[in-house]
Amino acid sequence: MAEELVPIQLIDEPEEALSPREQRLNRAARVLQWAAIAYGVLSALLIIIGVVAAVSANAGLFGTLQQILLMRYPGAPDSAVAVLVLLTQLNLSLLLVMMVGVLARELWAIPAMLILAIANGASILILGFTPAVIALVSIVWALVIIAPEIRAFRFNPVMLKELRGRMRGVRAFVVLTVYLGLMSAFMALLYLIALPANQISGSAAAGEIGRVLFAGVVGIELLLIIFIAPAFTAGAITGERERQTYDLLKTTLLPAPSFVLGKLESALSYVLLLLFAAIPLQSIAFLFGGVGELELVLAFIILLVTAITLGTVGIYFSTQASRTLSASVRAYSTTLVVTFAVPLILSIVLTIVTAPLRTLSPAVEAGLIYVDDFLRSMNPITAALFSRQQLVENQVLGFFSHTLASDGSTIPRVSPWITFTIIYLVAATVLVVLSVRRMRKVEA
Amino acid sequence: MADLIIETRELHKRFGKFEAVKSLSLQVPAGSIYGFVGPNGAGKTTTMRMLTTLTRPTSGQAKVAGYSVTEEPRQVRRAIGYMPDEFGVYDDMRAWEYLDFFAACYDIPEANRKKLIDDLLELVDLSHRRDDMVDKLSRGMKQRLSLARTLAHDPQILILDEPASGLDPRARVEIRELLVELAKMGKTIFFSSHILADVAEICTHIGIIEAGQIVAQGSMEEMRAQLNPHREIMVSVRDDDMAQKVKSLVAGMPDVIAVEVLEPKAGRSRIRIDFTGDDEGIAAINQKLLAEGVLLLGFTEETKDLESMFMRVTKGLVT
Repeated sequence: MAEELVPIQLIDEPEEALSPREQRLNRAARVLQWAAIAYGVLSALLIIIGVVAAVSANAGLFGTLQQILLMRYPGAPDSAVAVLVLLTQLNLSLLLVMMVGVLARELWAIPAMLILAIANGASILILGFTPAVIALVSIVWALVIIAPEIRAFRFNPVMLKELRGRMRGVRAFVVLTVYLGLMSAFMALLYLIALPANQISGSAAAGEIGRVLFAGVVGIELLLIIFIAPAFTAGAITGERERQTYDLLKTTLLPAPSFVLGKLESALSYVLLLLFAAIPLQSIAFLFGGVGELELVLAFIILLVTAITLGTVGIYFSTQASRTLSASVRAYSTTLVVTFAVPLILSIVLTIVTAPLRTLSPAVEAGLIYVDDFLRSMNPITAALFSRQQLVENQVLGFFSHTLASDGSTIPRVSPWITFTIIYLVAATVLVVLSVRRMRKVEA
Repeated sequence: MADLIIETRELHKRFGKFEAVKSLSLQVPAGSIYGFVGPNGAGKTTTMRMLTTLTRPTSGQAKVAGYSVTEEPRQVRRAIGYMPDEFGVYDDMRAWEYLDFFAACYDIPEANRKKLIDDLLELVDLSHRRDDMVDKLSRGMKQRLSLARTLAHDPQILILDEPASGLDPRARVEIRELLVELAKMGKTIFFSSHILADVAEICTHIGIIEAGQIVAQGSMEEMRAQLNPHREIMVSVRDDDMAQKVKSLVAGMPDVIAVEVLEPKAGRSRIRIDFTGDDEGIAAINQKLLAEGVLLLGFTEETKDLESMFMRVTKGLVT
C-alpha cells in the first residue's frame, strides 16, 4: 500500500484531562521527581564545593559540610563529603526508580518506597544525614497522595503475559538445563586447570582454587548478561510491531510506563532465574574457602545492575527501531561503545598523555585519579575487577584514602562498584523515561 | 434521526503527497450496524485508524462517542473495541490468558476477570477451547476470540476492520450472526468490508467510500431509494422491428421516463423501460403490449441488488 512508502512521523499525544486516579498518580510521581532533582542539585553542589575546596586546599569547608550534613559520621571530613555525594546520588537514582514504579502502578513500588523511607530514616539516626529529610518527606507525601488509589497498584499485566509465554513448556526447562550443564563443565575445566598450579603448596592453595572458581563463574555470568540482557528486551516493542499487536495495545488503556516496565521486569526475572540457578555452582567455591560472603553479595549487585541497565538499553532501542534486528544491533553497538571502547580508549589516552603531568600538582593528580575511577565505573567488568581487588587486597568495600604521590596528602576514593551502581541506575531510569516518552507518541 | 455516535467532518489524511482520505464526513447513528464499504485501498483502514486514535488526521474533526479523537484519545479508547484486519493474537498463550491479558490492560480488577472471561468465551462460542493454545485455533476461532477481546471492557462501539476477510463461508456466517447478536445487545458496530454481500445482509446503515471520499451513505432504505429512483422493466422480443414497435407504444404512457432499445442478446431484442409508477402501471404496460399484438418473450422487473448499486456509484478509480 502507498501508505507504507512514506516514513511515519511521530508527534506527542495531546495532553488531555486525566482521570482522578491518573491525576493522583501523576502528582505523587511528580513529588518524587522533584525530590530526585533536589538530590541531583545537591550532589552537583557538593562536587563543585569539593573540587573548589581541594584546589584551594581549604579543608575547613569539608568540616563545615560534615557538621551540617553528616554530623554523626565518624570518618575524616573529606571522606564525609564523598559519602554525602554518594548518598545523595543513591537517593537520586532510587527516587527516580520509585517515580517510574508509581507511574506504572507497580505493586513493588509501595514496599520499595517504605523501605527507602526507613533506610533514609536510619541514615539520619546513624550518620546524621540531614538531606535524608527530603526523601522522607517526599516519600511520605507521595504515599499520602496515592493512599486512596492503593487498589490501582497491581501485578504488571505485560510481565505476567510475557512470563506465561516464556516459562511454558519444555523450552524454558531445556534452556536452563543446558545453561547449568555448560556452567558445570566450565567449572570442572577451571578446577582441572587450577588444581596442578596450586598443588605444591598444599592446603593454603585451596583458597586460591576457590577464588579462581568463583571469579570464573561470575565472569561467565557477567558476559552472559552482557550478551543476553539487551537481546531479551530489544524485541520488546519491535516484536509487538512485527506481530501486529502493537496497535491493539495502543488502543487499550494500558499506560506506556506499565508496558515498558512489564517488558523489563519479565526479561529481568528470567535473568534472575539464571543467576539464582547458578548459586549452587558459585557456592562450590566456598568448599575451597578463600571467598567471603561480601564478595558474593558484591558480585550479585554488579550482575543485577548490569542486567537492569543493559535491559533498558535494549528497550530504548526497541522503541526507536522498526525491526527487532536493527534494535538489537543498535543496542549491542551502543553498549560496546559506551562500556568498552570509550573507557578503554580514554584511559589509554589519559595514561599516555598525562603521564608527565601526574606528579605536577596534587590537584591535577587527584583529578586524574577521579577520572580514572569514573572510567572504570563505566564498565561492569572493570568495576567488578577493581572492586574485588580493593575488597580482597585492602579489605575495602566502600571508601578508602589514597595517598598522593606528589605531596603525600590523602584524598578519599570509593570502590568502583558504588559509582558503577549509581551511574548505571541513573542511566537506566533516564532510558526508561525516554522509552515511555517515545511510546506515548502517535503517528502524525 | 438517532444520535450520532461516530461523526466526522471534513476529515483529511495525507501521507506525503498521497491523499488517503479526502474530506470524509461520516455519520454513524448509535445502535446501528454500519457497513463501511469500498474497494481495497479506498481509505477504509486509514479512516478506522483515525477513529481508533492510532493515527492523527491531517485536518478535520472526528468525534467518537462524543469525544474528539485528537483531543481526548483516552476517552475514545475507553468507548471503542478495535479489531484490526490482522488477527493480532499472541500464539504462545491460552485462549483464556489472551482475554485475561487484555482485560488487565483495561484495568478490570482481577476478581471480576474470571467471570468476564467465561462470559466472553460463552458469547463467541469458544468455552470448550478455553485452555487451548491460541495457535491451535482455526482462523475463524481466532477471529471470534479477537472479537471477544474487543468486548472485554464493554465498549459502546466496535470498530472492526474486515472482520470476515479470509474466513471460510461457515466462519463468515458465524461472525455475521455474532455481529447481529452484539447489535441486539446495544453495541454500535462499525465495520469495513470490500465484499458487499457481507454488508447487505446485516447492515442497517451503509457508507460507500472510494478513493478516500464518501460517495454515498445512509440507511439501507435511503440508499436503495437514493440509488434506485425508478424501477426497471426489461422486455424481450423476437426482432428489432418488434422492439421499435414496443418503444413507440410505451413511450407515451404515464410514469414512463425513458425507453431504450438495448443490444440484442442471444438472438433476442431487448428494451429497458425506466418507470416510476406502481404495480398497476406495470400491469397496464403489459396489457397494452399484448393488446397491440406484441409477441412478448419476456417481461420482467429487474430487482437491483447492492452489487449493482455499488457498481453504479463507484467509478472504479481504485482497484
